[in-house]
Amino acid sequence: MLKLAEEILDKIPKVEYADVRIVDQENEDIATKDGIVEALASGHSLGYNVRVLHHEVWGFAASNDFSAKGIDATIKKAMEIANSSAKYKTTDVALDSQKSITASYKTPIKEDPFKVPLEEKIDLLLKADQAQKVSPKIVISQSTYQANKERKYFVSSNGSKIDQEIIWTGVGIEASAVSGAEFQNRSYPNSFRGQNQTQGFELVRELELEKHGGRVAKEAVDLLSADLCPSGEFDLILDGNQLALQIHESCGHAVELDRALGYEASYAGTSFLTPEKLFNFQYGSPIVNLTADATIPHGLGTFGYDDEGTKAQRTYLVKKGIFQDYITSRETSVELQKINPKYKKNSNGTVRASSWSRLPMIRMTNINLEPGGEEGTGKGWKLKDLIADTKYGIFMSTNRSWSIDDKRYNFQFGTEIGWEIKNGKLGRMLKNPTYQGITPQFWNSCDAICGRPEWTVWGTPNCGKGQPSQVMYTGHGASPARFRKVKIGVVNW
Amino acid sequence: MQGEKNLKQIADKVLKFSTAEETEVLLFVGNNSLTRFANNQIHQNVAWHDLGISIRIVNDKKIGVASTNAFDDESLKKLVDKAIELAKLQKPDKYFISLPDKNKIPKVKNIIYDAKEDELARGVYTVIKKAKINKLTASGAYANDNSEMAVANSRGVWAYHAGSSCNLSTIILGKSSSGFAADVARKVKGVDAEKVANIAIKKTLDSTEPQDIDPGEYEVILEPQAVSEMLAFFQWYGPNARIYHEQASCLSGQMGKQVFGENITIIDDPFHPDIFPMPFDYEGQPKKKLTIVQNGILKNIAYDSYYANIYKKKNTGHALPAPNTMGPIPLHLYIKPGNKTRKDMIKSVKRGLLVTRLWYVRVLNPKTLNVTGMTRDGTFLIENGKIVKPVKNLRFNQSIPKALNNVVSIENKLTRLASFEGELVNLMPTLHIKKWQFSSGTLF
Repeated sequence: MLKLAEEILDKIPKVEYADVRIVDQENEDIATKDGIVEALASGHSLGYNVRVLHHEVWGFAASNDFSAKGIDATIKKAMEIANSSAKYKTTDVALDSQKSITASYKTPIKEDPFKVPLEEKIDLLLKADQAQKVSPKIVISQSTYQANKERKYFVSSNGSKIDQEIIWTGVGIEASAVSGAEFQNRSYPNSFRGQNQTQGFELVRELELEKHGGRVAKEAVDLLSADLCPSGEFDLILDGNQLALQIHESCGHAVELDRALGYEASYAGTSFLTPEKLFNFQYGSPIVNLTADATIPHGLGTFGYDDEGTKAQRTYLVKKGIFQDYITSRETSVELQKINPKYKKNSNGTVRASSWSRLPMIRMTNINLEPGGEEGTGKGWKLKDLIADTKYGIFMSTNRSWSIDDKRYNFQFGTEIGWEIKNGKLGRMLKNPTYQGITPQFWNSCDAICGRPEWTVWGTPNCGKGQPSQVMYTGHGASPARFRKVKIGVVNW
Repeated sequence: MQGEKNLKQIADKVLKFSTAEETEVLLFVGNNSLTRFANNQIHQNVAWHDLGISIRIVNDKKIGVASTNAFDDESLKKLVDKAIELAKLQKPDKYFISLPDKNKIPKVKNIIYDAKEDELARGVYTVIKKAKINKLTASGAYANDNSEMAVANSRGVWAYHAGSSCNLSTIILGKSSSGFAADVARKVKGVDAEKVANIAIKKTLDSTEPQDIDPGEYEVILEPQAVSEMLAFFQWYGPNARIYHEQASCLSGQMGKQVFGENITIIDDPFHPDIFPMPFDYEGQPKKKLTIVQNGILKNIAYDSYYANIYKKKNTGHALPAPNTMGPIPLHLYIKPGNKTRKDMIKSVKRGLLVTRLWYVRVLNPKTLNVTGMTRDGTFLIENGKIVKPVKNLRFNQSIPKALNNVVSIENKLTRLASFEGELVNLMPTLHIKKWQFSSGTLF
């Protein structure tokens, strides 16, 4: 395939820069509901795209037609698009310098999920589904599994040749209970299709879904009669799986440089983290260290090279609470250097496309809250000690709803479950917990982060961005953390 | 584009390759281009072409689904074998009866319009030019989508439809404000770029330097875009047979009962003259007009063949592509217009808010259909029937059924709204709602 990509590249007329990506995607989906296999599907998609920088503007075309005629038409289309855009251009696109790279990368896995017999997978999911049937109040029991294999072949006019194979797997269960007008659900290990990582089938085995089915279902039933989460300003401890989405929405999207420069204004919005805030804005409290790290084992945003051929990296976004960097591309890093002369870096390697038919753009890799107890992050708490240290507060786990404004300031999250903390002890279960805040105020109220033993890289496989829309898989390392005086329970149910 | 004849040949070939008891073939073709602009310049300009096939195999009530975008004979045979293999490993679905039979599909005109790159760029430039004159910054996208869809099955179903859309949307940014507008038509000449620019620019200028306002309960005038963003969640979680019968819908158990105010009639009409028609669903079953709520009373919900079989109801033609874990969804909802102009509706508000758009709406509880979200791109305070000032955006937490039980008046016309992508468009009126709960504010 790399050879074919080179052949396509060779056909492109002389331009300032060009790259070709061939992408071969394979996926498998299984979903059960109430003891029935509701979905059993296998998908495959193969295609390529041509990206040209011509007259200092981009042209992009993609196709699944690999015939000589099809390839010629795709190249012609990309050139026509660049020519058309050039007529109306007001600025020139410039790219950072990049050395030629020849490399291969493969997700390290122990057990290829596509080689595990389907009967075994179905059996495992049905058992996990059955385990949730602990009460007639459980009206829906579900389990889901997905495996994805993406082979990417990248060649560029600066001589780079990169082939990669990314494999990721996801699995989870969800029990829903109903009583009258009350509807409650609980998931394991996370909501919205469970946990997803760049791992093989070993992830599925480690998570032992069946073992957790009964507990999860019982909690959903118990929530039906639980007290409503109280309203007020209280201390809040977020479990890692909820904090992961908090990081995604209020940090990950806010540090996308294309968004900060206005390129996403027409759809998902902009960012309050404007370039003049670099190196001086107090984003969070001094123990808050946030990184973009595409190199950590198992992270859903872990890879070898991004879709512009830049090597995967670890970058501090926020260090000791101060805003340090964006996630960038070859084009936007140059633009940022012009806007803020203190910024001297090339792309930090975060550009990906969701398929062969989509234009690569800045996407979160693994955006992490570094664990407590490490350099500059204060004490490495244990969750039980953190609860013991809290006089009154709420502990919330597992996301149920999320919403944030188009500059990433005002957010509201709901979780599946909460518990009251009184005098250092976990007390009554609480239903419908929600909390609201303004991003920098919230992160500046963070006063304790649990240590590495409780730190997990959670996968978010459904991050939407761009027009045409692209759904990307991203990761978020997080351990439980405490936030002081947060607005809680604001919803009038 | 492929054309009906080519797609029929592919479908026939696949049906011939299959040895299964029942086989369904779903074919999609897309020829798309999109010109995206920001900071008053075009920054992304893309085109893509794809042809995809998905097949559903049934043997002994065991179902397997496989898809690919490779169309040589060997790949198609492999695809059939894969789906048969998957079905073999399945457990029988006792609720599944059969794939649907052939039914007469309403005839609609297939319209394809392949816009030239320059046509889209010219429309974009019109918006940018007007923004620059007003010292504002334009962003947005101009998309041309041409799609073909075909469904065939071994029980004789054959359905084909081709359609086109040209969709221009913009957000114009000022120093302290923003404005949104969009237009959609079959062909570029039907899209009024000047009008789109003028509407968005006016909103931006009108909402310059928005003022703080306390959250709380307000009367609201929701413009059509905001109504559409609110109703999107009713569409998915309300009249959906799967969710309804799981007792997880706000409508569950309410058939024939008063669910909303008497002034609310909600209709799903894929043939409304102001939208782009969709003649059949993803199982190749005919679509037709379905009244969901009439004068506030729940009359019908949406079914596909699977849920119609389980609950002994008539299939209403609302299937999504297999495997469908979402349930049947009505995709062409509108609220029946009332008798007031938008101007009169604003005049009747003593103290309330005019909301242009909602943003990032999410469901807090599907059963009560409580949703949260933000206002966006122009929010204004109304006092004694007049718009007095722009205000900063607010977060709301609101039950949709409660809102639809508190509708004071409905605009006398429907506005055609573009979706962000593809052929789907919808129609909505402005609503005057007596009580709307805002829980906090933001900084802009």
